[in-house]
Amino acid sequence: MNVPTDAYVALSGVLFAIGAMGVLVRRSAIMVFLSVELMLNAANLAIVAYARHWAGFDALAGLTGQTVVFVVLAVAAAEVAVGLAILIAIFRDRASTDVDGLAEVRL
Amino acid sequence: MATFVVLAVVMVVGALGVVLLKQPVHAALSLVGTLLALAVTYVTLEAHFLAAVQVIVYAGAIMVLFLFVLMLLNVQDAGPRRSLPGLRWAAYAAAVVTATAIAVVAFWDGRPAPDPAIVSLHLQGGSAGGIGDALFGELLLAFHLVGVLLLTGVIGAVALVQRRAESAHGAPKGGGLPGGRTAAAGGARALGSGGPR
Repeated sequence: MNVPTDAYVALSGVLFAIGAMGVLVRRSAIMVFLSVELMLNAANLAIVAYARHWAGFDALAGLTGQTVVFVVLAVAAAEVAVGLAILIAIFRDRASTDVDGLAEVRL
Repeated sequence: MATFVVLAVVMVVGALGVVLLKQPVHAALSLVGTLLALAVTYVTLEAHFLAAVQVIVYAGAIMVLFLFVLMLLNVQDAGPRRSLPGLRWAAYAAAVVTATAIAVVAFWDGRPAPDPAIVSLHLQGGSAGGIGDALFGELLLAFHLVGVLLLTGVIGAVALVQRRAESAHGAPKGGGLPGGRTAAAGGARALGSGGPR
């Protein structure tokens, strides 16, 4: 009944790898962005699993881990807003979000 | 354990749908399903407040933003146009090898799960009160930095969109921009169509 922490971390690793695969194989920038969101959530799952694990020893450690995930959620929200704005700007200029031809954003 | 297996299967299938489905809207909806299953997983990990926030912020706000942009831009999958023919399968193989390697390493450890009674006592179900204590105590600096980051994000998004609104209402005059807006417009001009070519 009590699922070990390793199982959650393994699931997190699999999800992260699938997201990384999406970043590699997708060509539309929005789809790449979607895969990055998947990777972020996989990392969050690992943090929450470890928070539960350490809560068996220290109450403050568990709650701090969950709060870190909360902060990561806020950062992800800001990242999505700015990233989608940049994508819209690129799309209006090029009528495409194909990452193969994106040379304008290079410094 | 059965709950975890069902959730894991749903999440992995949803994640594969994000990567493999052709239609972008289908992929986004698949990610919504994965995020909802992840919220249920948070409940099984005694993080009830995070589960609620996950549904509201991620599956709600962020994914609605994604779907809105997808439908606004009408992104289409352009079909196969490969310069390196073996790249896709190399990527699949790399992902499978990485996933199995990480999973094996994680399972290899074999520490027992913590006592659920102690976890419940310490976490209190991951309530908003406990998270608030940690957020305004130990992570106060992170809280302030996130505030600055959100303000920066709002200003950046508005600056990117405002340039577009001006050029949509007629040709922008070079020196006619009101003071205080030139910095944002100059930053956006590098990406916009109104810049000199």
